[in-house]
Amino acid sequence: MPIIEVENLQKHYTVAEKEAGLGGSLRSFFSRKTKTVKAVDGVSFTLETGEMVGFLGANGAGKTTTLKMLSGLLHPSSGQVTVAGFTPYQRRASFLKNITLVMGQKQQLMWDLPALDSFLVNAAIYEIPEARFQATLKEYSDILELDGLLSKQVRKLSLGERMKCELAAALLHQPRVLFLDEPTIGLDVNMQVRIREFVAEYNRKFEATVILTSHYMADVTALCSRIVVVDKGKVVLDGSIEKLLERATDKIVGLEFSSRVERSELERYGVVQSLDGLSAKLLIPRSQASVLAARVLTELPVADVTIEDPPIEELIGQIFSEGKASRDTELEQVQKEQVRA
Amino acid sequence: MTAPLLPRTPASPARGTFAGRSFRKARVLFDAWLANMTAYRAEIVIWMLAGAVPLIMMAVWIGKANAGGGTVGGLDARAFAAYFLAAWLAQQSTVAWVAWELSFDVRQGNLSAKLLRPLEPFWEFLMQHLTERVVRVPLVLGLVLVGLLLAPPGTVLTPGLEAALLFMLSITLAFLIRFMIAYCIGILAFWTEQSTDFDETYYVLATFLAGGFAPLELFPAAVRHFVEWTPFPYIVYYPAKLLTGQLPASDIARVLLVQGVWVALFALLRHLMWRVGLKKYGAVGA
Repeated sequence: MPIIEVENLQKHYTVAEKEAGLGGSLRSFFSRKTKTVKAVDGVSFTLETGEMVGFLGANGAGKTTTLKMLSGLLHPSSGQVTVAGFTPYQRRASFLKNITLVMGQKQQLMWDLPALDSFLVNAAIYEIPEARFQATLKEYSDILELDGLLSKQVRKLSLGERMKCELAAALLHQPRVLFLDEPTIGLDVNMQVRIREFVAEYNRKFEATVILTSHYMADVTALCSRIVVVDKGKVVLDGSIEKLLERATDKIVGLEFSSRVERSELERYGVVQSLDGLSAKLLIPRSQASVLAARVLTELPVADVTIEDPPIEELIGQIFSEGKASRDTELEQVQKEQVRA
Repeated sequence: MTAPLLPRTPASPARGTFAGRSFRKARVLFDAWLANMTAYRAEIVIWMLAGAVPLIMMAVWIGKANAGGGTVGGLDARAFAAYFLAAWLAQQSTVAWVAWELSFDVRQGNLSAKLLRPLEPFWEFLMQHLTERVVRVPLVLGLVLVGLLLAPPGTVLTPGLEAALLFMLSITLAFLIRFMIAYCIGILAFWTEQSTDFDETYYVLATFLAGGFAPLELFPAAVRHFVEWTPFPYIVYYPAKLLTGQLPASDIARVLLVQGVWVALFALLRHLMWRVGLKKYGAVGA
């Protein structure tokens, strides 16, 4: 049975539009213009226990709003959500003890006190037995190298140090479902890797279900076999990373030559992405990749050849621009129809 | 990644009785917030001075009493001194800034972290105020003693232990009234996105209605009649009257009962507003 079920989830906001300046203030006082923002507009998906899913999308695509509805902070405008058998927005204690939400851009630790004090508060609030608290703390402290950090005031910690403490605090109660919203934002590569490894280990040991959003594609590809891409509040792709790669129309063929080759010679096989001395990159249609690569091998002085999928970032960018293109076309049609009418 | 994590433990049911667990939560929250509050000693002194209205009014009314042949409205200089010192003590003991705190949390989205925990944010805000009181009240009591030394000779703050104990009970209820009202005002932030402006206006009005500018017996009859139907006299005026022993014995039970009713009413209102307001949460910057 799925641990997370989301069915046609929507979150619409009514926001007041106000023009700048005093005149705008006066006008909006007398006739308030409002518009509806569809932050999340009919999102559906299910997750099995232990799955790790990457939630991708541009800023404002609806990722964070969705996570906030899943963790019970926001009431959905419509649609169904079930997490671990609970309706999140009812915020029952037994639900909250089963989940955690880590927001990389918001801190939950008490700012003026050492992190350990916040840990103790959490231990009491989540009713963690003393022995388990001590054992968990020691475990996390070893893995995340928290020694010496826990007794320092939170505001004196560096961003990376603080994030490690935040993560430990958010997982002290050993939740089964983790919502991680940009957990590695602003961190250096070493720290990103450490946090990634910690999440992977946690998932393995506790069979925890994880939804992760990140701007760093490496976080997603390292942790998640499945991705959900949202754009304008809708799911535009849900599947394995391989499935995303299938959407790639081209393969990238990397070539190393033993002697110089002219650009015009390469253009017979595909689009030349780069040509630099003795190495080149060609974009070749996926279906013909192996045939064309074989021809290149026999016809040109090739020393080495690689066939790769394009980077995931590019593919996702491609999906977004396709989405935009189709919307633009729709818009143009509507406008044309209006003109005709 | 070689370090083993904990062996998978089944989520063990929390140990101990409900009361025991609640006590543990209360104690830990208390310790943490007390540590936080002691870091704000200087600020607390400034907030106290900002609430000095009754002390200024004390000087005004003592002056008037002396000029008016000894009494104004049946109160002499010593009665005014005792009343306003008690009123200041009552006002200081009931300070609640949860309206500001809550509306800030709503607008900044800080409420999210509090909502994620299996503990209603109400309890954490309440504990913040109680720990602040531990720092504030000794300072206030010290200043009241200094005030007594400066007051007209023969001024008696309280007639005895019984009045003082009744005051402590009454002031606890008074604090709860004020806290619940402030909480309701804070909840308005779910709709207005900003409720602190309202809070400033409210503060001045409430100080007046509570008896911070003058004891209620000096109000015109019609005004007093109206004010009696508001919760405000039960925050400052009546507790101060209890402490100074200026309240007829027959009135004591009524005052405590009405205080209890106001606490219950605003607690209910807060509960309802919270339930409705929470649905609106997140419409801004979330």
